[in-house]
Amino acid sequence: MDQEQRFLGVLTSSPFRIAIIYSVLFALGAVALLGAVYFAVSRVIDGSTDNLIEAEVQGLREQVLVLSRSDFIELIEQRSQDQDVRGAVYLMVDPQLRPVAGNLPAWPTIGAGEGKWIQFKVAVPYGDQTRVHEVRAQRFPLPGGYRMLVGHDVQERQDVKNVMMRGLVAAVVMTMLLGLGGGIWMGRRILAHAGAISAVATQIMRGDLSQRLPVRDAEDELNTLAREINGMLDKIEQLTLGMRTVLDSAAHDLRTPLNRLQSTAEAALAHLGEASPERRVLERVTTEVDRMRSTLDALLRIALAETGTVAREAVDLSELVASIVELYAPVTEERGIELQSRVAAGAHIQGSRQLLAQAFANLLDNAIKFTPSGGHIRVFLRNETGGPEVLVEDDGPGIPADKRELALGRRVRLDEARKVPGSGLGLSLVAAVTKLHGARLVLADAGPGLSVALKFAST
Amino acid sequence: MHILIVEDDQVARDHLAKALREVGHTVDVAVNGLEGLHLASSIALDLAIVDRMLPKLDGLALVQSLRATGRKFPVLILSALGDVDDRITGLRAGGDDYLTKPYHMSELMARIDALARRGELGGGEAATRLKLADLELDRMTRRVTRGGKKIELTAREFQLLEFLMRHSGQVVTRTMLLEGVWDYHFDPQTNVIDVHISRLRQAIDKDFDKPLLHTVRGAGYSLSEEE
Repeated sequence: MDQEQRFLGVLTSSPFRIAIIYSVLFALGAVALLGAVYFAVSRVIDGSTDNLIEAEVQGLREQVLVLSRSDFIELIEQRSQDQDVRGAVYLMVDPQLRPVAGNLPAWPTIGAGEGKWIQFKVAVPYGDQTRVHEVRAQRFPLPGGYRMLVGHDVQERQDVKNVMMRGLVAAVVMTMLLGLGGGIWMGRRILAHAGAISAVATQIMRGDLSQRLPVRDAEDELNTLAREINGMLDKIEQLTLGMRTVLDSAAHDLRTPLNRLQSTAEAALAHLGEASPERRVLERVTTEVDRMRSTLDALLRIALAETGTVAREAVDLSELVASIVELYAPVTEERGIELQSRVAAGAHIQGSRQLLAQAFANLLDNAIKFTPSGGHIRVFLRNETGGPEVLVEDDGPGIPADKRELALGRRVRLDEARKVPGSGLGLSLVAAVTKLHGARLVLADAGPGLSVALKFAST
Repeated sequence: MHILIVEDDQVARDHLAKALREVGHTVDVAVNGLEGLHLASSIALDLAIVDRMLPKLDGLALVQSLRATGRKFPVLILSALGDVDDRITGLRAGGDDYLTKPYHMSELMARIDALARRGELGGGEAATRLKLADLELDRMTRRVTRGGKKIELTAREFQLLEFLMRHSGQVVTRTMLLEGVWDYHFDPQTNVIDVHISRLRQAIDKDFDKPLLHTVRGAGYSLSEEE
């Protein structure tokens, strides 16, 4: 797997998706929580300075009524002198907006209207540098066209708000990053585990029942699942092993007496003259032993294929089908049957070469049996989108549609077939081998004749 | 040849020993794996026939122990099990050939001869030129001539002839041909091998007085100068 694919794998893994969803939810939570704190604190700070300014405005409005202009100017000067600009801000201007008293250099240009609250920026010297401070103020008219501005430097409260806002953004970003990072980490961890599990599962499906899913130290659902599946595999392995043992002992118990029969008959035959009447009897015996042996072989192979414990290897299906066609070509020619074949190159599957070879051979044996001289047999290997497909067609009598299911069953020889020799297990073996390879066996009408298709899944 | 039979089935063992002695071999018998291992380790053998399922020591374990101790004589494994994978495990354990019961004595004899020949030849199998009477086969140039005249063969006929020439003078069974030339381990219901052989015979014997490819009744074929 290359890096990019791996990364995409992490992105589409379910733990990563869950992490994304949760980090977004947590971020929303952080925004809501910190936002609420931000607004509450802002309100308290804003409220307290606003109250201060309101009180000062109220006081000055009262003073202006009782004091002369010069006294009032002095009062303003007094108040603004012992105040740093960062604190209270005062400015009294004449009708031409020229400053008369106060600690502000000029009447702010913004907010020319008479709205109650205005907010503006003021450059404040800090040694060599100047800093821009935010000022919140109220304006009100004085008698004689003079105007008054009373305000307060709100830079500190702005600073607090800024810090809070930065904290809020940082908290949200951190939550997202942690969620994302955690998601990727968990995704990779689970993907690694799931990848290991699926690799082993593939091996198991290929017939290696001794394999077990990896179990990690950590206690998580995947581990629990892996452990339970392993338990199940133990059981399956026991059962198949039991079946193999039964098969092996059945094979042994049948082959051993057959072998005795064969060797005894052969030993007796060795001492009989060509013309001896006993010779015929003994030859009949060995012929029957041969027949029993081929039936036994077929039954055992069917049983083996059905237990699924046959070892798999990489099989070049194209080479195999071509070689079977080549094996059967002379015999069809000799019988006056035309054998046509079209074998696509590059079809590969996992499976048992020997069992596949025998299945194809059985199909050709059958086709030859039922195709009269002058007939045709066609063998195709096609690379279909779903996987390779092997097709064997003949123009013999075929199998009626209602009997095709039956023909695949064990020991079924249809009436037509009784006239020709054979164990009747040929198609059963083909069916078992097809199943072993996860393929589909389809019998159809070749119009006229029988068409047998083995549809493999692509690997 | 000095042959050891390790077989627990008395009937099979007796018939086998008798048949082998009749064709002139010296035969020792063992009735279980342990006895077989003792005999195989203490006497000079040319070949061993070992049953796969044996009491005391399993046939495969016996062959493995022999190979592990450096015994190189050919071993033919007899099996009464199912097949397909069993053959592979048998050969992997160190067996040189594998035969499933019930077997024909002729099949077993042909395989023993082939195994003995393989032992004799040693590395000789790699020879590039094979020759029998006036029939010559060059594995490098893939050229076949008889009496100096070039014979055209298909790739498979060439392989078939090469196999027969490497076993010239011996009986080669149909099963041996199917295994050796096609690498298939099953018995076709149709006489496919016979037809391949008759084509090869057409190619190499038809225009010549003396036939080289003979049919051995009830056993198989033989490529030899003698009738």
